[in-house]
This record gives sequence, structure tokens and C-alpha cells, in this order.
Amino acid sequence: MNLQPLYDVKDRLEHAAIAGTGLLPEDFRLRRAADSLKPLAEASPVFAKLSAGVEKLLSAPPEVRGGQLLDVLALADAVAYTQGSAGMAGDLAPLPTGGGTYVQISCGQIQPLLTALTTTGSGRVETATSAWEVHPEFFTDFRVLPALISGLGDSYGEMADRNAKILKELGPVVVPLLKKDLDPAGNRAMARRVEVITAIQGAEASPWLRSLLPDAKKDVREAVITALGADPENTGLLLDLIKSERGKNREAVLRSLSGLDWDTVKSFWAEELVKNSDSVKFLRDADTDWAAELVASGLRARVEKMLSDGNIPPKDSEDFTCWCCAIGEKTAPAMLEFWQWACGRMEAIDRLTTEKGKPVLAGVRLTDNLQEILRHTGPGPLRDFCLTLWDSHPEMSRYLYISFQAALLSRPAAEVYETYSPYLLTEEPATDTERKKTLNTVLLRAFGAVRWSSQNGQYCVSGGQSTAGPLDCRWIERFTQAVYTDLPRTGGSPFAYYWEDVAEFDRTLMRLVNPEDGENRKLLIPYLRKRMEKTGQAYHYSRWLLQLGGSPRGMFGKAMAKNSSANHLYVVWNLMDEAAKVLPAEEVAALLEEFMAAGAARKQALAQFQKAIPWTIEQLRAGRPFPEWDDWQNVIK
Amino acid sequence: MELTEQFILLQAPNPAAAENGRKLSRKGSFSAHQRTEDNAVFWAECAGSGKNPYRTSIDWTDPAAPVCRCSCPSRQFPCKHALGLMFEQLAGKEFAPAELPQDLAEKREKQAARAAKKEASKESAPAKPKKANTAAQKKKLARQLEGLDRAEQMVNDLLTSGVGALAGTSAQTYDKLAKDLGGYYLTGPQTAFSRLALTVRTMQKSPDQAEASAAEALRILIALHSTIRKSRVFLEAKLEAGQYSAEDTVLFEALGGVWRLEDLHAIGAFRENARLVQLSFDVSYDEARREYIDRGWWLDLDGGQIDQTLNYRPVKALKYVKAEDSCFELLEVPTLYTYPGEGDRRIRWDGAVSRPLRPEEQAKLPGLAQPDLATAVKLVKGRIKNTLLPKFMAVLVPIGRMGMVGDVFVLEDPKGGRIVLRDRPEDGADHASTARLGMLPEPVPEGSALFGLMFYDGRDRSLCLHPYSVVTPEHIIRLLY
Repeated sequence: MNLQPLYDVKDRLEHAAIAGTGLLPEDFRLRRAADSLKPLAEASPVFAKLSAGVEKLLSAPPEVRGGQLLDVLALADAVAYTQGSAGMAGDLAPLPTGGGTYVQISCGQIQPLLTALTTTGSGRVETATSAWEVHPEFFTDFRVLPALISGLGDSYGEMADRNAKILKELGPVVVPLLKKDLDPAGNRAMARRVEVITAIQGAEASPWLRSLLPDAKKDVREAVITALGADPENTGLLLDLIKSERGKNREAVLRSLSGLDWDTVKSFWAEELVKNSDSVKFLRDADTDWAAELVASGLRARVEKMLSDGNIPPKDSEDFTCWCCAIGEKTAPAMLEFWQWACGRMEAIDRLTTEKGKPVLAGVRLTDNLQEILRHTGPGPLRDFCLTLWDSHPEMSRYLYISFQAALLSRPAAEVYETYSPYLLTEEPATDTERKKTLNTVLLRAFGAVRWSSQNGQYCVSGGQSTAGPLDCRWIERFTQAVYTDLPRTGGSPFAYYWEDVAEFDRTLMRLVNPEDGENRKLLIPYLRKRMEKTGQAYHYSRWLLQLGGSPRGMFGKAMAKNSSANHLYVVWNLMDEAAKVLPAEEVAALLEEFMAAGAARKQALAQFQKAIPWTIEQLRAGRPFPEWDDWQNVIK
Repeated sequence: MELTEQFILLQAPNPAAAENGRKLSRKGSFSAHQRTEDNAVFWAECAGSGKNPYRTSIDWTDPAAPVCRCSCPSRQFPCKHALGLMFEQLAGKEFAPAELPQDLAEKREKQAARAAKKEASKESAPAKPKKANTAAQKKKLARQLEGLDRAEQMVNDLLTSGVGALAGTSAQTYDKLAKDLGGYYLTGPQTAFSRLALTVRTMQKSPDQAEASAAEALRILIALHSTIRKSRVFLEAKLEAGQYSAEDTVLFEALGGVWRLEDLHAIGAFRENARLVQLSFDVSYDEARREYIDRGWWLDLDGGQIDQTLNYRPVKALKYVKAEDSCFELLEVPTLYTYPGEGDRRIRWDGAVSRPLRPEEQAKLPGLAQPDLATAVKLVKGRIKNTLLPKFMAVLVPIGRMGMVGDVFVLEDPKGGRIVLRDRPEDGADHASTARLGMLPEPVPEGSALFGLMFYDGRDRSLCLHPYSVVTPEHIIRLLY
């Protein structure tokens, strides 16, 4: 049966509803459609009913047209539904399978995860991370895995990286899905797929990468070339590619070649560095002997040239900086030889100036690199070299810094103290004052890179390595007796009391303190009380005292009164709340009394303090806990 | 009863509360873990933002309905601390046996006394049937009829100027009309006008979607007109007969009536000792009603009917209405109440016991499908032509083969009948599931069935199936949730 007249009528009725029933009598198209429906009406009662409905509508008075139009439309819809077809002819190809596993995940668990992976907005990284930590099995589910793969193209880079990391950890199970629909000419998301596949398969991915290369473009090509570096078998191909690739892709080839350990590669790099000195930056992370040899010899040649030429042009200075960056964390013998050579000429290197007479700071750059390597690499000849550097070159005060840190990392605590404590002055020197003051400052700055890690229960040096032993307790005593304590500011305050500019020396000292150590506490509590009295910086020193189990009682009121305008009601409550967690109730009450007696309350809030503090003292003495902030607010109302 | 993660999630008022509880447990916020000797009550302290920890306890006297108590001020129930304590139990943390604290013991006693009193009053005097206030109900019916006249007038006015003119009107006009209808006890038509206001906004915001919006507005008007017409006849008959109680008709709900379980019981819309298995679950947002709808699709193991549960969570009361979640166990329901309607009717229950689905029960599930696609198609056509009912129907159909013709997913039943598998556009992108058929972990075994929503797609004038779950003799693979 040809149903086109039915659909024509339905279509015209819908148009009539959209155009308005006022125009119905003039709608000749509806009339024409109604006429063409008549043959069907003769064949079937339902079409006859529809046809009659349309006729009635066309002749209806204006006030009832709306209702009649909707009635006829409802009927036309119903007829269309009942005449609806189902199915599709053609060969049925089987469905692909293997898109992951099926995990029984409830809607409450999977929906937030899918939303995080497929939408935009804040909080998504947290949702995905938390799900990964608690239920890693969710990520192999066939509903989640495709979303995770699509998420490699997330516009928020952190989310895309997170997804890539998860995929790498899921391992080989995700590789077929990543390869499916991979577009070699695609965007960053496709490049990330290549990165993930290579991270999972390593050298095994080589044949696939090589097959992808001819069609790979833009980001994907760069990723493929970078990935080829994982397999030494690709050396020949990479050496061919370096001749044809340009821009980022050439850089990718260089990056790949930097990790390969072949004579042909070394020869290539030797030539490349002659032609393009800048390319040395790609050797920064290379840990092969040949890379160390090339960087060491290149650096030495540049330093020698600078020493012989004098008046360094900016181009050479920049080139030298680039080569310094390439040192990375190399510890190979060639590099050690370079350090031995350079450290013996440091005074001359320090004297190098630019064409305009400004210092090049080449010596500082080199020793900064040496410090970095020392902090990031373990025991070995380089550390041994650093250990003796100060002894062999006592004229270079900056070597004290390096040798002291090397000693902390490798020598017993007592030996370190015996060797280096004389540099921390506890009395004014009678002779050679300036030099001794300089060495005192260098040592204090070296201590600035050391801290007690309560999490690890040991002392650590910046860079993450722990010291060979605990810090000798005598250092703390010596610190409390130090006579030269001026240090440039290097970090922020541990507490949010921005108006108190606490000396860097005290910050350095407090970073060295193990609060659990009774000896540390015994030495520091009197020192901190003295400092609090002297500086009037009640908030920092009170907190430190509380951390060590001490009390600021006795000088608390006086110190707080020195800057009473900072004593807002909340900050005072906050400090006393902290105090109440470690001090007996009577001690807290006494501190509050001292505060009021010294007139330390902020003038604008005096009335509030006068209500809150006596009430709190009363509560504490009645054996009740220290009040919450809400309680103080209620009291001052 | 074994404590499972799924059980904890089901207790949570919303997924965020459960997640926050889990975080508390993972970061070690709980201390002083204790329990009674008989493992009936577990309690612990949980560090909060205040100085004093919260005291949290769970009373497992009834393992299916644990009583959670917490000293925190949260109005969510159970709070994240109680859920966190459940996670502590799930993680196998050590709870030291101890004497029940005095305050907890007193609370338990009070609760037991209340329950005993309630039970005793039930037994001694069965609840008296509420006396109907006939005068008030008569007045309400008359008011509803007035409202229907007003709504009809609005529809006629709109059609006179044409649906196309909607884009030039203010959406607020229809918001106001919807608000006005609130005074006539006609929440159903009221929602229809809110939907019209939404289409007006869409037309104005996205002129390129004007045609689709006009078609949507027309669908709303057809349904609204039909509701008005049928409701008038229904209400007039009730008024004439002086019969004011709820009746077994979809019109009651279409007008905005709310069924109570006792009303459903009174009209005999219930069945006893039902065994239900959830085939699928989803959450959607109804912008016109400003509420989330948790929808579960359930298969009755004995009768083979497919019904649905609907949990409405208004945005304004989101914190206080518990969200529902997927259920993977079999539910044994003593009394299952069914709403009036045809096919996939709404169901509710007062209490149910869950247990794992046995392999032999699972194996029978595909056998409860329609005999073939042709029968299912006929059923659906019969249902969707009713203007008062949704334009889709949930069906379970047997799978002969599933595959692709070109890039179109197609299901073929064992008799060779076929249907196109396609996402229902109205369900939105978050319900897209058809493409997942191409990612199933393994081939669908013989003797399986496909559950989904069959609908009429006006674009190619065909009936299609939006797949929700694959039901195999071994398990139910949910394409959605």
C-alpha cells in the first residue's frame, strides 16, 4: 500500500498547526493532500476516519479549529505509528567484540566517572583519580575504556595526561583498542595513543611504528619518531630521517638518537654538535658514556676559548649556558675529569666578563650544576670528589657549600660536626673577620637545603636524598649561640602570619628541629622564648614553642601587645585553640589573663575580647573544653 | 548478611555522600573503633572540622535496615560519617569488643519501645479508613474542570496564531500560564505548559533548532489536548456519579494526581510475592519539572512483565531525597503495587528482601522475552498510539543474531524478523548505548535476549529499538547502568 498520501496529510496538518488555524481555509496544499487520501479512505476504515476528520477540519468554524486540528493530528500520528515499518534488509556482518571487560558497576559509581571522562568542568581529575585508586578494575569495563581512550584528547591537559597514565598502567589489554581507528594524520589525542602504546610495548611496537610512519603527520609523526628511539634497531631509520625531517620532527629524531648507544650515533652527534651547537640540549637526559664525553669535551673547549679570548660576546655566553644545561645529571668518568679540570680554574672562570665588562657568572653556573648533580645522584666518584673539593681549594668559599652537603650525605654525623662546626661562629673572631663571616653565611645557606622530615623520620637534603645519619645535636646548640645570623630570605613562612617578618636564620633552624627529640626541645624552648621577647613576633614563636611542648607564658602578653592591631578576635582564638590542644587548661587560662592584662587586645575589638576572654577563662577553670569559634561568636553577640 | 560495597552505596542518600564516606575511611579519620560482643552495634569516633570528633554508630539489629547515628549536624541521612564507618567495617578494620555506651543504649531502648508500640497499636486496632471529605473533593473536581476550560482556551489561542509564532512570544507568558494552572489542581497540564516555555526558550536561543522545537511543541499540544478532552469526560462523570476516590486510570496521574500505596491497594492494583530482577537503571533530568528521575527497569521472574520504578528527586530537595541506584540482586517483594497503565507500568513497594540471583534463575531470564520481534512490535504500536502514554515501550526480545548492515546496528530474532538498533534522540547523549554493542567483551551467546526501549522514529517512519541491556543465560550485560 502506498502510504505517501498519509504522510502528506500529516505533514500538511503539522504545517497548518505551525502557521496557525486562521489560514486553514486557504491552505490549498492541505486540500490537495486530503484529496489524494481519498483512495486510501475507500480501502480502509481508519483512513476513512482520518479523511473525514480532515474534511471536517477544513469546514470547521474558527473557534473549534484548534481542537479539531489536534484531534486529526493525533489520529494521523496514531495511524503513522501503526503503519511504521521495522527492520533493515542486507547482509548482517557480525559485531566486533573485545572492547574491554564487563564489570558490575552501579550507576552511582560509573556515571560520575563517565561524566568526568567525557565532559568539561572542575573536579574531574579528582573523580578519575579517586576511582582509579579505589576501583582500577572499572577502567577496563567496555563502557569506561572507550571513554578513557577518547579522554586522551581532553582539552584539559592534566586530565589527558592522567588518562594516558592510567592506560599505560592497564597494560597490553588496551593496545588493540588504541590501535583501532587510530588516525595517523590526527591530532594530539592520536599522538598520545602512540605514546601510550609505546610505553606499554616498548621495542615490540617498532614494526607497527614503522608501518605507521609513511602516513603519520604533525603531532602523530613527532610521537612516532620519538617512540622509534625506544628500539636500537631503529638507529638506521632515525639516521635516515634526520636528513629529511624538519622542525619539531627533526627535534624528535634528535631526542630519539640521544638515547641510543652506537658508534654511528656518536659520530652523528659529534658532527651535529659542530653544525648545530644548540642541539646539545637534547643530550641533557642522555646517560651514555659517549654523551658525557661529547658534553664534557665541548664544555671544556668552550671554557678554554672563553679563557683565552676574554670579553665574551653574548652569543658565546648563551651557547655556554646551553651546554651547561646539557650536563644534566651525568656522572660518567669524562664528566668527572671535566669537573676536576674546571674546579682547578674556577677563580679564572669567575673573572670572565662580557664585552660590556659585566661578569658572565660562568663559574657560578658550573658550580650550581655540580650541586644539582650531587643532590640528585647517589654515592660514587663524583660525590667523593665533592667531599674533598673544599679541602683542596680552600680559597673558593662556595666549595664549602658543596663539600658540606657531600659530607652530610656520606659521613657520620659526629665527623661532619667536628669538621664543619668551626665555620658557624659562636663568638666574634679576633682575626680575618670578613672571610670567617662569609664562610659562616655559606654554611648557614647550606643548612637552608637541609630539613627534618617527620614523614620519613630522617633528615633530607633538597633533591630528596636523606643524610647519612641524623644531624648531630650539637649543631642546634651551636645555632642558638650563633653570633652572625643574617641570611637572605629564601622561602615563605610556615604559618599564615604574614605581618610577622621572622628572620630566615630562625626559619632555617626550625627546619632542622626534630620535635620528638627531647634534647632539641630542651635547647630550643629557652632560645625561642628569648627570641619572642626580643622580636615581639608572638604568633610564630608561640606556635613553635607549642610544637615543642613549651609555653610562651611570661612574655606572651608583652609580645602580643607590641603589635596589638594584628590581634583580631579570630587569630587570637585560633592561636589559643592550638594552645589548648597541647597545654593544660590552667596554662591556657593564664595566657589569656596575661593577654588581657598586657592590654594586647585590638582596640576596635576590645569590647568583644572583654566578653569572650573572661568567659573562656571561666569555662576552662570549670573543667570545660576550650570553646569553639561559634561559641565565641555567640558570647560576643 | 554479608556487608558489601553495593549495600553501602544503596544506603547512601547520594553517590557523593558515599564517596565522601569512603574518603574519610581511607584517610584514617576514624579512631576508637568498638563493637558490642554480639556484633549488633559498631561505633567509632570520626575527626571532623571541629575540635571534638563526631561519635558515629551503626546498629545492625536489622541487617537489612541498619540504624545509623552520628553527632554531626548533617541533615543528610545517613551522613558521610556513618557511611565511612560502614567502609571501615568493609575494610576489615579491628573493632574492639566493649560495653555499649550509656547514651547509645538509651537510644536503642527508646527505639525498640517505639517499634513495639507501633506494632502493638497495629495489632490491637487496624487502621481506620480515612473518612473522605466529599464536599472538598467535589469542590476540587469543579475547580479542575474550570482549569481544563482555561487550559483549552490557552491551547486554542496558541493554535490560532500558530506554533511557529511561539518564537516571537515570551517564554515567561507560558511560565505564568503554568503557574496559574497550579491553582486548579492540574499539575499534569501545568508541566505541559512549562515544557512549552522551554521550547520557546530553545527556539529563541537556537533559531537553527526552531523546526525541531516547533515539532516538540506540537507533540506537547497534542498530548495536552488529548488529556484535556479525556479528563473533562472523566471528571464530569465522577462529579455526576458523586464518586471521588482514585480510580484505575492513567488520567488520574496525567492530571497530576499522586497515588498512595493504600489507594493502589484499594483499587486492587497490586500483586503478592513478586520476584524482581533489575534489567537496567538510569538517571535523567526533567528540566520542566526541575527534578532528577531515577528509573529502574524490572523483570518479573514469574509473570515476565517488565515494569519500572521512578524516583523523583526535585532539585530543591536534592539533599533530602535519597537517590536510587543500580541493583544487581534479586528482590523478593511481599506486596508489589502497580500503577494504572498499559505495558511497562510504574511499580512501588513498601519493603523487599534482596538476595543474589541463582544461576538457574538467571538462565531463565532470556526465556521471558517476547516470542519474537513481530509480537513486540505489535504490542508497542498498540501502546504508543494512545496519546496519553509515552511514545516508547520497554521490551525484552529474543536475539537470533546481532550485527551490522553497513554502519547500522541490526537485531535479528530467531525467526528472521529484524529491527534497527538506534539511540532514542529524546534520551540524550548520556543515554547513548547502541555503539557499545560493538564493544561487547565477547560474542553474545545463543539463547540470549535484548532489553531496550522500542520507539517510533519519525525520521524514517520506522520502529527502532534503543538497546539497554543484553540478557544472556549467564548474566545481564548492562549497556547503560
